[in-house]
Amino acid sequence: MAQSLVKLKRAALYGEEILLGLLLSAMILLACLQIILRTFFASGLFWADPVLRYLVIWSGLFGAVAATGRGRHIAIDLIGDHLPPVLQGWLTLIIQLFSTLAAAGLTWAGWRFVASEFAFGASGPLGLPLWLLNSIFPLAFALITLRYLLLFFGQARAVIAGPAIGREGGGQ
Amino acid sequence: MSLVKFVILGLGLLGTPLFLVIGALALLAFAGADIDIAVVVIEMARLADTPMLLALPLFIFAGILLSESRAPDRILRFSQIFFGWLPGGLAVVTLLVCAVFTAFTGASGVTIFALGGLLLPALLADGYDRKFTMGLITSSGSLGLLFPPSLPLIIYGVIAETRIDQLFLAGILPGMLMLTMLAVYAFVKSPPRKPIARGPREMLAGLRLVAWELPLPVILLGGIYGGFFVPAEAAAVTAAYLILVEVAIHRDIPWSQLPAVMAQSMVLFGGILVILAASMASTNFLIDQQVPDRLFAVMSSYIDNKYTFLLLLNLFLLIIGAMLDIFSALVLIVPLILPIALAYGVDPVHLGIIFLTNLQIGYCTPPVGLNLFLASYRFERPVTELYRATLPFLGLLLLTLMIVTYFPWFCSALL
Repeated sequence: MAQSLVKLKRAALYGEEILLGLLLSAMILLACLQIILRTFFASGLFWADPVLRYLVIWSGLFGAVAATGRGRHIAIDLIGDHLPPVLQGWLTLIIQLFSTLAAAGLTWAGWRFVASEFAFGASGPLGLPLWLLNSIFPLAFALITLRYLLLFFGQARAVIAGPAIGREGGGQ
Repeated sequence: MSLVKFVILGLGLLGTPLFLVIGALALLAFAGADIDIAVVVIEMARLADTPMLLALPLFIFAGILLSESRAPDRILRFSQIFFGWLPGGLAVVTLLVCAVFTAFTGASGVTIFALGGLLLPALLADGYDRKFTMGLITSSGSLGLLFPPSLPLIIYGVIAETRIDQLFLAGILPGMLMLTMLAVYAFVKSPPRKPIARGPREMLAGLRLVAWELPLPVILLGGIYGGFFVPAEAAAVTAAYLILVEVAIHRDIPWSQLPAVMAQSMVLFGGILVILAASMASTNFLIDQQVPDRLFAVMSSYIDNKYTFLLLLNLFLLIIGAMLDIFSALVLIVPLILPIALAYGVDPVHLGIIFLTNLQIGYCTPPVGLNLFLASYRFERPVTELYRATLPFLGLLLLTLMIVTYFPWFCSALL
């Protein structure tokens, strides 16, 4: 059971790397292709620039999901490691609870936004509907919410079980 | 409601991810004003209208690729051959290499960690005294933030909606001024030495070491200002070129390692993007509530001219720069200050350079500047010792700041 969970985690991490790598490679290739087409053939793909801009958003938001799992979000931490471990454990728990709620709020706001885009029915580059291009917002925020929820449960178990360990996902 | 906001702010200072703090405050603010909270994400989605945003992920990737490769070591050996024989040469090499490295990697701590370990023993062996050496490396840790293609310059451009190619040009002379002042000081403090003659063969070997990296600044700047591509495309060319050089030619990073390096870059970019996105929403709310206008109204009754304003701005930013990392500081402060600065008649490009110069200096300002702690950790010395060691450098940096602030010519000369 535990072993299959480890396997699953490793597979998820690998999938994450491949996805982020593909998005980044697509940005590099598409932007370079545009320069080559313009400089040497005096032409270009009219859809390339808007697609690139959405690639930036998608890669950044997926990157943010990955940053959540790796505890790499930018945070201001005035106290650092100066708290006694027990208090630190509780503080981390509170921070993760807040993070879960805040991310859930953003997911809800994103859902409302995409739902209204869906109703409006406008389309963006390559004839893709705008709601689809923007659906990454609620999707990424939902994944972030889920990650913080899992971190919260893990931390809750650790705090209740005894001396606090680590503060994964609580910031840098 | 205000109690909730207060608690959220408190959590924000205790290690809560910044984008969630700003995001939650924006959600509450819009909900409190009876506006559909979907607006928060609509504002975030406006980032898709920012073409120059593309430069961020690509330059972040280029910086990480460069720091994961053995290029820093090669650049250092090359500089030692060409400049190491001059009096104060190795100190000048330190300044140059740190500046180049920081310009490409942006986030400051990397420089001290990646280069500090190589430079400290070399400088000590060359006869520089320990205090000078540590001060030099600590204050060089954020040198180069003003040179293209530094990430903070791009982020300022995105937030302030200012042209990045102009910011790139505006930073060059102030950055050079800073380098020159520090180099003169290093020259004065350098130990007496006999010059070591370098034969042409050794010089050729040195050139060969960095033959592939050397054209990069030329491609980058030549491409942008020669009109071949815009800054965001220059970032793509840089990224593609560095994959070619560091992965395919030098093989410093094996192909199998490339997805991991790419993912690492996107994680860093993701962290920055969500903060930028959240601040789009909160900034919109601040402007909607006319907060900058009201701040200006209050300030203008006390501060009647641009120069007093700039002086106070410098003091304020030095404190902010010592407490916050550069990304948080830019995202939180620029949207508030920019409208006020415009009202006082400060040019947005000039303001950007003032901002970054301050934040850079803040990194080595006691008691809490980040570089001091990084250096203290890296060199295993008490942080108080680093306060003293950095002091003369800090003085020189502040002098540069004054010159850059009160002589906007340094920023506008190349535009």
